[in-house]
Amino acid sequence: MNLKTLNATFIRNFIVQLRAYPKEFFIGNLLTGIYTSLSAFFMYKLLFRGSMQASFKQYAGTGDYISYVIVGTAVYLYVVRTCLNVSRSLITELRTGTLESIMIAPFNRMQYFVGSMLQQVITTSGEIVIAILVSIPFGLRFPNFNAMSFIVVFIISLFSFFSLSMVLACIMLYFRDTYISQNTLFLALFLLCGITYPIEYLPKLVRIISGFIPITGSVNLIRGSSLLGLGIRQQMGTMIYVFILSTFYCVLGFKLMKKIEHIALEKIQG
Amino acid sequence: MIKVENLAKTYETKVRKGFFKSNKVQLEAVKNICMEIDKGKIIGLLGINGAGKTTTIKMLSTLLLPTAGSITVDGIDAIKNPMTVKKRINMVAGGERMIYWRLTGRENLWYYGQIYGIDDKILSKRIDELLNLVGITHKQDTPVENYSKGMKQRLQIARGLINNPDYIFMDEPTLGLDALIAKELRQHVKKIACEDGKGILLTSHYMAEIEELCDYVYILNKGEIIEKGTPKNLAMLGLKNKTVYLKVEKNSVAYEGIYNACRLTDNSVVVEHDNKEDQFIITSALDLKLTLSKFCMNNKVPIIKLYEEEPKLEDAIIRFAKEA
Repeated sequence: MNLKTLNATFIRNFIVQLRAYPKEFFIGNLLTGIYTSLSAFFMYKLLFRGSMQASFKQYAGTGDYISYVIVGTAVYLYVVRTCLNVSRSLITELRTGTLESIMIAPFNRMQYFVGSMLQQVITTSGEIVIAILVSIPFGLRFPNFNAMSFIVVFIISLFSFFSLSMVLACIMLYFRDTYISQNTLFLALFLLCGITYPIEYLPKLVRIISGFIPITGSVNLIRGSSLLGLGIRQQMGTMIYVFILSTFYCVLGFKLMKKIEHIALEKIQG
Repeated sequence: MIKVENLAKTYETKVRKGFFKSNKVQLEAVKNICMEIDKGKIIGLLGINGAGKTTTIKMLSTLLLPTAGSITVDGIDAIKNPMTVKKRINMVAGGERMIYWRLTGRENLWYYGQIYGIDDKILSKRIDELLNLVGITHKQDTPVENYSKGMKQRLQIARGLINNPDYIFMDEPTLGLDALIAKELRQHVKKIACEDGKGILLTSHYMAEIEELCDYVYILNKGEIIEKGTPKNLAMLGLKNKTVYLKVEKNSVAYEGIYNACRLTDNSVVVEHDNKEDQFIITSALDLKLTLSKFCMNNKVPIIKLYEEEPKLEDAIIRFAKEA
């Protein structure tokens, strides 16, 4: 199988990121992880006085709030970095004046987006590993880490982030703007997907909406494998649900993308 | 050959009327264009701003879908089979776009070569050839952001040739370049067409460029082709009056005779005397060069200079646009 576009986009993005955002950017992202750990630590110690309500333990399956928040935030960081960068890759091409030159080439769209996604996953993983190491002194613990289950749910989660990126890419390209998604949508995802608290605390209607966002399932899956030690079989239902939902978003995104590309190019010209 | 038949493009745009209301407006950017682009030929597409040149190029390059009409590239329908056609075409635009500024020249060509699916060994060799062709081998490992405008444009041309296309669409390739670099680029364009046998569609605001490079020219106005022909023929067609410059030895009788000879041949003639150069500038719809030369010979008036102004494509374009 010819994976030239995937490979080339992956390498190109790495080079561009290295030259455009030197080590200061990397340090900036690391600090985000550290702040997250610190805020979880202080909230737990100062606000909650080191103890959680019984309802939290019931909904979250654990009383370890610090680990719960850090894992949730790590997933959120993946969501932001992958969804945001993958979805805005075409609009970035538009802004840098290279959209037409790639559109004129018979390139494989799927490989192009997967290449961007993989590059983001690797960069973000590097940052998260360091952020996790920094969080251990603040109380991050993985007493029941299930490695095999984690690998599977992590791959499914990446697929869910990718699928959401495709739909987002269409929205961004159509409006030729990343502002709405960056500043509104990601905040909504933070509030709706159970990043820092179980979604069971949300009103019923909001919970229904939350269920249609694949990130909600992904956060639960990753917490299940890393904090609760749940195996593949125990999480199978959620995994299938996230996979089906993500496939739907992915197909929708690619179908829309073909039309949106032409609309975007017409908007530039028209 | 690229064959374009009855090509049309209508944009639908929204005009805001208050905060919530907006009206849809239809804008006919291109209307029933027919043209042909042969391999080895440079075809010019001329017109004032908003004439529809860029829209036409974007439809030909499969970036925009036409509202009506057909485009075939070597017999392949470009609207139905854009992916097949994309392999045979490429585009070069002016104004420092279409290349990644953070990448080096070589990395840019490598990336584009990869997304065209070119074999690695062939690609490496082609990159070397193209860098050499456009003369930026010495800067191949420098990020493009450190290139001069001319070098960026040369890299653009190399990028446009990376897939070894049969046809290249060049949208104002010398935009913003100084005269020397623009001349160099024109030489490259000529070479690409004449030696490599590629068909080129060129748009430019520089008439001298079109006159120098193009074998055939289409003139667009408000989305329609209003004239077509070789640059020389178009310039002649656009020339309403001919201007003849005549300088003779100072002689008041001869001067009077020249005025009369002109008026006798064409009563709408405009004869002016340029005191600074001490020469006659005669503007007439008729060819007065022969009349004037006969007059001077018969009256033994020594001619210092007698020549007719070359017709200019620029004047023709302005005239055609005004008439349309």
